[in-house]
Amino acid sequence: MKNIIEITNLNKAFKDVKAVQNLSFKVKEGELFAFLGLNGAGKSTTISIICGQLAKDSGTVIIDGFDIDKGVEGIKSELGVVFQNSVLDKPLTVKENLENRAALYGINGNNFKTRLSELSELLDLKDILNRPVGKLSGGQRRRADIARALLHNPKILILDEPTTGLDPQTRHTLWDVISTLRKETGMTVFLTTHYMEEAADADYIVILDSGKISAEGTPLELKNNFSVDYITLYGSTAEQVQTLGYEFETIKDAFRIAIPSTAVATELIVNNPQIFKDYEITKGKMDDVFLAVTGKSLSANGGAEK
Amino acid sequence: MSIILSIIKRNIKMFFKDKGLLFTSLITPMILLVLYATFLGNLYEDSFKQILDAIAPGLKVEDSLINGCVGGQLFSSLLAVCTVTVTFCSNMLMVQDKVNGSISDLTITPVKGSALAFGYYIATFITTLIICLLATVACLIYIAYIGWYITVSDILLILLDVFILVMFGTALSSIINYFLSSQGQISAVGSIVSSGYGFICGAYMPISQFSEGLQNFVSFLPGTYGTSLLRNHSLNGVFAEMENLGIPEKAIEGVKDSIDCNIYFFDEKVPISTMYVYLAGATVVLAAVYILMNLKKRKIKR
Repeated sequence: MKNIIEITNLNKAFKDVKAVQNLSFKVKEGELFAFLGLNGAGKSTTISIICGQLAKDSGTVIIDGFDIDKGVEGIKSELGVVFQNSVLDKPLTVKENLENRAALYGINGNNFKTRLSELSELLDLKDILNRPVGKLSGGQRRRADIARALLHNPKILILDEPTTGLDPQTRHTLWDVISTLRKETGMTVFLTTHYMEEAADADYIVILDSGKISAEGTPLELKNNFSVDYITLYGSTAEQVQTLGYEFETIKDAFRIAIPSTAVATELIVNNPQIFKDYEITKGKMDDVFLAVTGKSLSANGGAEK
Repeated sequence: MSIILSIIKRNIKMFFKDKGLLFTSLITPMILLVLYATFLGNLYEDSFKQILDAIAPGLKVEDSLINGCVGGQLFSSLLAVCTVTVTFCSNMLMVQDKVNGSISDLTITPVKGSALAFGYYIATFITTLIICLLATVACLIYIAYIGWYITVSDILLILLDVFILVMFGTALSSIINYFLSSQGQISAVGSIVSSGYGFICGAYMPISQFSEGLQNFVSFLPGTYGTSLLRNHSLNGVFAEMENLGIPEKAIEGVKDSIDCNIYFFDEKVPISTMYVYLAGATVVLAAVYILMNLKKRKIKR
């Protein structure tokens, strides 16, 4: 699979603040790539540079074979962006917004009608098309934002914290749509998010801290390298669990034992069948990975929690 | 071309659908109407009667002539203010787009920055022109009701004045708004322009009543000549009627001086043709500056 985004030694500073420091990573075509980091980690700065909205200090950025130093006009049709906050025109209706933005990509007349109909079907927009954007709920507005980003069939969909502030049901609906799109079109999705469960579904994750990459890999690689596995053991006594020699915590009707790897868990189970009658093994979560890598945990709004 | 038309269409729709922008743009004309209804109308009327008494004692003039004169002053003041202040409010869309992030959604498209800048410029011109033409029609109806002395050629000249002044206001507001990027700045500039422009262009109070220093200062401002052009063309008919009534030309010139139909640049009376040249020249220079600013911005971005 070819790389659709290649970033090498990217640097950007705002006066004394080094927003992005020597950043290098690649995004493969068709993958769901997640950028994870606290507020101010450099995620949005990187996205702005990729989109050609912010000049970089140094480094190279290649999007689908185009070097942005040689002009960003060539890549703009390849990118669809869902910004952190809805940027559609609030006094105008969803249809007026989409019609106007489509025209900026040269999509007019029947071509627009066809595309509007497709997106309306995909994102269930029919009921909100003629309503002003300013009067939509958060979830409805997000659907309109995504429709706008997809108007020109971009190769890369950039989602900058797309589900922040949405209710779980709407988040679920949006991810269903994105998942369907990826399956049907092979679109590359570049995601920044505060929600660890969303990052956990990515093909590849880069964790950014203070403008630098702290860790990267697939979710499995990150979990294996930066978190522990857990065995939840039911129907045993505290004395029995103590004999295993690992730290554990008591939870409701069970004990939770932290173990370094799945192989160790297998060994424990094989050697102590009398204790392991009812149990389950779970991998560490992305929250654990993030905490282990950065020493910080993410709060719901993307800030750090001690 | 269809892309630019689309940008212009979006900006015009945004202005007329954004009640805040529309309302703000109408504040200055509304202030003027309130001032006129409460005391300016009576003040103009008394002042005109006093001047007539002084220059031609015992002369009987019809109420319609007095009303035509007062209405013409209101008409010209209203248009002088509208043509410039409405452009500032309409062009605030450029700043609002920066404040609420919509500009990112526009610059992410393959459309060039120069096309976006041109779109704001033309949309501002069109929206202001629409409002000013509506104001012109409303004022003409009002004047027809109180005392009509305007000729067809004067109406055409008034439309020309409005056209040039809207061009001037668009260029000026484009340059000033270009540097704004926050809600606070929008409010500050909006307030200053709305409240201040009416005074310095002579709409609220004739420039002839300013101190000499201030008169010299405003004689450098192109807007001053815009007001004077409008005033001349909305009152030409009234002056012609005064001439028919046998009022001496010198006395009529005195009236013209007192209500800014005559403007002096350091004691030198500025002819109408020079007013046009100065106003149009200033518009061309400002438009050129705006284009250069956008070209420079493009170079910096690269």
